[in-house]
Amino acid sequence: MFNKKQTLPYFLGLLICITSLQISAQSDYSNYSKLSQKIKSLHSNYSSLSKLEVLTTTVGGHKIWALTLSRGNAKNKPAIAIVSGVDGKHILGPEMAVNIAENILKNHADVLENTAFYIFPNMSPNATENYFSSLKHYKNGNAKNTDDDRDGAVNEDPFDDLNKDGLITMMRIEDPTGAYILHKEDERILTMADKNEGQLGKYKLISEGIDNDKDGKFNEDRKGGIAFNKNFSYKYPYFKPGAGEHAISEKENRALLDFLYEKWNIFSIITLGPENNLSAPLKFNAGGAKKRVVTSILKEDAALNKYLSGKYTKITGTKDAPVSTGKGGDFFQWSYFHFGKLALSTPGWWVPKVKDSAKKASKNKYVNYLRWAKKENIANAFVDWTSVNHPDFPNQKVEVGGISPYKMYNPPFKMVTEISKKHTDFILEIAKIQPNITLQNLKTESLGNGINRITVDVHNKGLLPTHTEMGKRSRWLRKIKVALVNLNKNQQIISGRKITLVTSIDGDSSQQFTWLIKGKGTIRVEAGTSHTGIDTATINLK
Amino acid sequence: MKINRHILKSLLLLFLFPLAIGAQNSTEIFRAAGSPHNPKVKISFNRYYTTEGLATLSKKIAAAHPNLVKRKSIGKSAKGKDIWMLAVTNYKKGNADRKPAFYVDGNIHSNEIQGGEISIYTAWYLTENFGDNEYITKLLNDRVFYIVPTINPDARNDYMKEPNTAHSPRSGMISLDDDRDGLFDEDGYDDINGDGSITRMRRKNPHGNYIVDPQDPRKMIQIGPDDVVTTQRYEYLGNEGIDNDGDGRINEDTHGYYDPNRDWGWKWQPDYIQRGAYKHPFSLPETRAVADFVLAHPNIAGAQSFHNSGGMILRGPGAQEDLATYNRADIRIYDAIGKKGEKMLPGYRYLTVYKDLYSVFGGELDWFYGSRGIYTFTNEIFTAFAYYKDKNGGRNQQYDFDKDLLMNDAFTPWKEFDHPTYGKIEVGGFKKNFGRATPGFMLEEEAHRNMAFTFYHAYHMPNITIADISEKKLSGGLKEVTVTIKNDRLMPTHASQDLKYNITRPDYISISGVKVLAGMLVTDVDFNVTKEQKVNPKKMRVRNIPGSSVIRIRWIVKGNAKFTVTVDSEKGGFITKKSK
Repeated sequence: MFNKKQTLPYFLGLLICITSLQISAQSDYSNYSKLSQKIKSLHSNYSSLSKLEVLTTTVGGHKIWALTLSRGNAKNKPAIAIVSGVDGKHILGPEMAVNIAENILKNHADVLENTAFYIFPNMSPNATENYFSSLKHYKNGNAKNTDDDRDGAVNEDPFDDLNKDGLITMMRIEDPTGAYILHKEDERILTMADKNEGQLGKYKLISEGIDNDKDGKFNEDRKGGIAFNKNFSYKYPYFKPGAGEHAISEKENRALLDFLYEKWNIFSIITLGPENNLSAPLKFNAGGAKKRVVTSILKEDAALNKYLSGKYTKITGTKDAPVSTGKGGDFFQWSYFHFGKLALSTPGWWVPKVKDSAKKASKNKYVNYLRWAKKENIANAFVDWTSVNHPDFPNQKVEVGGISPYKMYNPPFKMVTEISKKHTDFILEIAKIQPNITLQNLKTESLGNGINRITVDVHNKGLLPTHTEMGKRSRWLRKIKVALVNLNKNQQIISGRKITLVTSIDGDSSQQFTWLIKGKGTIRVEAGTSHTGIDTATINLK
Repeated sequence: MKINRHILKSLLLLFLFPLAIGAQNSTEIFRAAGSPHNPKVKISFNRYYTTEGLATLSKKIAAAHPNLVKRKSIGKSAKGKDIWMLAVTNYKKGNADRKPAFYVDGNIHSNEIQGGEISIYTAWYLTENFGDNEYITKLLNDRVFYIVPTINPDARNDYMKEPNTAHSPRSGMISLDDDRDGLFDEDGYDDINGDGSITRMRRKNPHGNYIVDPQDPRKMIQIGPDDVVTTQRYEYLGNEGIDNDGDGRINEDTHGYYDPNRDWGWKWQPDYIQRGAYKHPFSLPETRAVADFVLAHPNIAGAQSFHNSGGMILRGPGAQEDLATYNRADIRIYDAIGKKGEKMLPGYRYLTVYKDLYSVFGGELDWFYGSRGIYTFTNEIFTAFAYYKDKNGGRNQQYDFDKDLLMNDAFTPWKEFDHPTYGKIEVGGFKKNFGRATPGFMLEEEAHRNMAFTFYHAYHMPNITIADISEKKLSGGLKEVTVTIKNDRLMPTHASQDLKYNITRPDYISISGVKVLAGMLVTDVDFNVTKEQKVNPKKMRVRNIPGSSVIRIRWIVKGNAKFTVTVDSEKGGFITKKSK
């Protein structure tokens, strides 16, 4: 028989051991099961402040986690959604999201009084697992079988690890018909020959592998799967590898949206992924904003983006970010252009610019990375070019080598704690200035003969507007409802509407309401909606 | 006891031969041209059927023709109803899954009901004529029809059973917050006069802009600026309803509202751009079920969806922004079929959605064509032309037709009621089953003509034959085999949209039973211009077999063995032929 008395302390001990082990021993990113373990223990350690749900189980058999943070019911509390693991090569995102959740619960739980968080740490678990596999290569897709080159055969031309180093890098083939030459600043790097500069191509540059199906293309139909960040409806890349047969075709994409659409309290979505509108705000383009199918951020939202980008740069102390605004089908652009929310995105980290002895930074991102890696003593940043025999190039010199996968997009693990902390601070700042509808200057005047005039300012105490300009257009953000509720039988509205719907109120702005009521008794004024908070006041009419 | 046994016997007979009893004795009937003259399944085509009614009919058809019909639910609606599909073909001949397929559905807009009956009529007509009519027999030998009578089963019933206008619900039955006040469907219509339809409200008002037509009390006449009015004036107050939620507005958040025909995944746009869009492409279970079915059936080469009304044969693009998707080669095919339709469907016009109707995103026909390369039409059933078979029927024709031909069945006379906000009002007007839904006595004809149009469309799906296999001796024990493959219909195996994006795989043309040294596509037979396939020449990959033309494949083979040639095309079918 199972002895509860004896096993409980044993289990507790084991739990403490496991937790402390994790904390002390972690030196690299967490794989799916380790991260899931972290999420689960975070939830059980803070069970009164968090809720853990499984959104769906992917075709690859991974559970997609949704962690809600809130003190009490989240339903009518303005909320921020944090979505990461949108891109399979961004291993930092999932780790950061869980760290941010932990920081909030551990050190800033008071924010949960007025703000709720919906955190989705990893939307591409099948892809991110590749970082932890014995053959590392970039992968974005889920586990679905796809015919990436649309030729009728599935997964017939995968990568091949020709130099047997457990990494998929590049191949360079000496060939006068090639378009590449060695880079002046660092000869390990290849760059396109420029005819205008009198340069002649000397190399072909192809990803590491064999043309398994002999169609003249290399590695064009590997186990690609469908990529989370290519499967959304804004600028959906039709018929492109990894996009799927139509937008939102995948379980994880659909489950996330079905969840978000039911949470009317979300005012902002923060993506931890490759796109970045926090280092450099999206630019307004009058032509694109005017079209029926809008392709530019709207004017007011561009100003708001600029303001928040300033805050981000200051709080995180970051600079020199590469520009990345989304390639179409991505989640970030969807969250603004198709969902209308306050949409923010950052990769959290990028390779800092390194200046050479002449105090000049390289324009080539690979050269820059290798300089930085040298400065930081990053081990195995580059796989040196080594010759291999290649069946498709029998009489040519073929070498395999290049920058190790994942290293350019994810910082050394020791930096993750600090990055997470700074991003937590930024997110807390967004919560601080969130839309916040309150009733101010409530006044009752008697006009005699049982008639009273009620006046109130419906005030947005937050610095952020209640609705983005895009959100005003979207049916998926509710209007601010200003209503008199619980009128008794003897009370009659002489002037004013019982219910008024207000499209939006700017940050630190208000709109005044006034009613004439005949009849005694208490009456309640209510203002707000799910994503702005709802304030109420009771008046006793005499 | 004896009597009882007789009753039992006849009851038993009834159970055993319900269909035989349903059919009339052949000596009592005389065949009318073009219609099943003594069908196994009796159906009245002068009335409409609820979702359950359609399901019962499709079940009867499937039960009566087990070798011609497989009935399957392709998914569940939002409210859990089955979406029934009939796969109709001659199952005794060929592989049903590999025949070129024609897809038909109806009723995506819940109030646009005729598609349900046209679909049932089509399945009934095909099955009852098979073996009796040569054209139909051949059609079912060579093709398969996937027929889905209603893809909006929840709201079809709501339209029929609950108070509605002729234009509602159109949506499906998932609740939405139309006025963005945080409540769902809280202020719908109210059937004040209890006639099952949402008609109109009017009120006597000395400042109103209408009077009752002195010659027809059903009708209201608008007052012109120079008219001298000596009679009672009225104002219109909109559709029947009360302010259910006390927000000072009437009927501002009715059931739905979204438009299932803005939910399809080709150039989909959200609600603020395309009114009626729901959450994301295929966010509705019904459209999702159809999309999944179509993706799983790459043999579908042609498709038809039925709407109402206005008498239109519509092709894409739905949106002006999508103009580039439809190119000339495919428009030629659309035109040929659409023009034929104008002739077959008097009063109907062949039109293009974006320029002749409205410019919209997320429609069904655009997804079928843009995303799957399937030639697709939408027909808007019923037109005012039908009232008096006259293009110039005049303003009063609906009132006249109701009186002359429907014996006043389509109009609820005005009657006085008390309204909680408006006080004394009058309620009346045309019922929901008039104006869009084809009146009963014309329904069978409209179903037949629309079905015949889909047959013409289905006839012109690719029809592949191996027309000729010729052999020529070369030196050294080698032989040159040239195979001519013919497609004698309008449609290619790959629409030009398909070719542009490689939507469906190439057609495979293979040879087996002989050693192959080389394989090539002959692009000019007279000048011997060929294009060699270097890898795996036994299985030639051909991008397309165009409509009304032939292609030629040539193999260089060794030896004199007999061989078999196979054409394996997703939309063109699977055909084999042995050498002589």
